[in-house]
Amino acid sequence: MMAQIASVMRLELKKTFFSRRGLWVYVLAFAPALIYLIHAVDVTRDHEHRQALAAAHPVATETLHSIKEGMTTDEVVAAAGEPYAVKTFPGGRRRAGGFRDLAIYQYTDGDSDFALVLVEGKVERINEQDRCNLKKDSAIFATVFQFFYLRLAVFFGCVGIFMNLFRGEMLDKSLHFYLLAPMRREVLLAGKYLAGLVAAATIFVTGTALQLAALSWHFEPGAVSEYLRGPGWGQIAAYLGVTVLACIGYGSIFLLAGLVFRNPIIPAAGVLLWESINLFLPASLKKISIIFYLQALCPVVASPDRGLSLLQRLLISSAEPPQAWVAMLGLMVVTLAVLVFAGRRARRLEINYGTE
Amino acid sequence: MNTTVTFDNVSRFYGEVLGVNRVTLSIPPGITSLVGPNGSGKTTLMNMMAGLVRPTRGEVRVLGISPNEPQRLCHMIGYATQFDSFPRGLTGQEFIYSFLRLFGYSHDRCVKQAETAIARVRMTGAAARKIAGYSKGMRQRIKLALAIAHDPRVLILDEPLNGLDPLVRNETIALFREMAHEGRHVIVSSHVLHEVDQISDQVILLSNGYVVAEGQIHDVRGEIKDHPMQVWIRCAQPSVLASKLFEMDHVVEARLAQDGAGVLVKTRDADRFYRTLNDLAVNGIELEGVTPLDDNVNSVYEYLIGGESR
Ligand SMILES: Nc1ncnc2c1ncn2[C@@H]1O[C@H](COP(=O)(O)OP(=O)(O)OP(=O)(O)O)[C@@H](O)[C@H]1O
Ligand SMILES: [Mg+2]
Repeated sequence: MMAQIASVMRLELKKTFFSRRGLWVYVLAFAPALIYLIHAVDVTRDHEHRQALAAAHPVATETLHSIKEGMTTDEVVAAAGEPYAVKTFPGGRRRAGGFRDLAIYQYTDGDSDFALVLVEGKVERINEQDRCNLKKDSAIFATVFQFFYLRLAVFFGCVGIFMNLFRGEMLDKSLHFYLLAPMRREVLLAGKYLAGLVAAATIFVTGTALQLAALSWHFEPGAVSEYLRGPGWGQIAAYLGVTVLACIGYGSIFLLAGLVFRNPIIPAAGVLLWESINLFLPASLKKISIIFYLQALCPVVASPDRGLSLLQRLLISSAEPPQAWVAMLGLMVVTLAVLVFAGRRARRLEINYGTE
Repeated sequence: MNTTVTFDNVSRFYGEVLGVNRVTLSIPPGITSLVGPNGSGKTTLMNMMAGLVRPTRGEVRVLGISPNEPQRLCHMIGYATQFDSFPRGLTGQEFIYSFLRLFGYSHDRCVKQAETAIARVRMTGAAARKIAGYSKGMRQRIKLALAIAHDPRVLILDEPLNGLDPLVRNETIALFREMAHEGRHVIVSSHVLHEVDQISDQVILLSNGYVVAEGQIHDVRGEIKDHPMQVWIRCAQPSVLASKLFEMDHVVEARLAQDGAGVLVKTRDADRFYRTLNDLAVNGIELEGVTPLDDNVNSVYEYLIGGESR
């Protein structure tokens, strides 16, 4: 039986990795890494620019921090020297008594950018723009990972890969070759599922790893190794693991969908909807999903609350996020249940190459 | 040990559409032909033997094995389907090899058996080429090679002679005979009776989902002849026509319609009946319409006398 599963996988892997139909799966998997890379290049250029400015207009970080609101232009220049850029807007601010002059003085210590907003020669506001830091970036990553990568990229990647395992061959009219091999349908199903899983996990774990690499690339080696010594490796392992688990969970669902449906859009849209409203479901229903468990396993909490209205927040039922091992177990139980059901369907599977 | 392929009162519907109905058959080893026009249910029967389609009612057994057990059944059967499609990107050799691997055989064994099967259908020269570049006849042969590659006891071949040139056709038929001689079942389908009647030990005639005749070819011809065919004739002088018809020995019955608009005729020899009908028409009896009433038998009859009905 193992030999048979292996031979199914051999046939399937070749098909899944190199199918022209599946090209967009690669795009989904690798586009985010590309975006992070562009971001990294951007940040690096920005930083180099600030460094050059700081060299031309040197000023200490403490000095900049000592500037307070209410100081006059002269006091500022006396403390911090000439800014690297001055923008003046005569009559640029409207006040009760008419128009006032507005000026923006920009300083940098090479890392952060300070923009002083001066109205009528007095500091009114200080905008400090930090240099990108790991903490900020990892929060961004956490949000993108949960709300874009897991819910959309891996999701639709699994639609593409797993739904085609049976349905694709039904369309190609070549499924009967498999059904004429002397093996239980469940064995065939297992072989195809494992092949899909290896393909999906390889593609998307690579995608996640590339994103993490692209993200941390522009930080100084010191900062990165400090992060790694801290929570770093654990978080990286968690992200990669969650990616694999997403493939395991979504894979089983779309394998089944490919057995039951001819049109991939209906089940994909249905599952997508179910997974999106998961947040608002009662606790017992939450557990019949994939995203619920994946979210519990993500290392950095990405809070969706910010964009939600009070009403929406009231609708969210608070199920305690389960512990890691419970979440993993839950996901496995859901997956197994789906696969068992798929096995039952596969037993009754018939060849029907009729026109759609 | 059971050595027959049996259908026990098998019906299969596709939704509302009838595939086959109430088929009871027992197919012994040797060459058996399923013959019938398009849509008569040949492929449906074969798919049910192979477990690709399930009966709506009734039971199929292949050498005693239920098609619900593919893990046992598929060692016994080799099925070359009617579908002219293949997995993408494979050469003939890779195709046979990969699907043999699904049987759980070792690499060496698969290489060897693939080579033997390909040689048996005389495709050795093209085995290293991509199937996508094969001609229709070559595709037919590579399918046949896959069907025989694991040495099955029951060969099921859906229109295996389609698209073969005369030389290859003869070679293929020789292969069937060889297989049958070894005690295997060779079940082939065709929609042309005369294509297979010479080579078959048994013929099963299908029409519109029913088995209309079964047995050795002589029996089948006889069965068709013995079965009276009904024809409804509309004409201006039905009584004159009826009396003429009564003079013919193959006419079993000629009944006047109550409204006097025609005659219902039962004949045992449709061939002669139609010929005499032409004579009558020539001799002045005006025929307004001739409608065969049982289409089943009639279409089969067409097959028998007409050969290719296309
Ligand atoms: N998948 C299907 N869905 C709906 N109807 C079907 C399907 N397969 C077969 N049928 C119907 O069942 C009947 C028998 O079809 P089948 O394919 O068995 O005939 P056949 O004898 O093989 O014909 P052909 O000579 O064209 O291959 C036909 O009326 C056909 O329309
Ligand atoms: Mg057919």
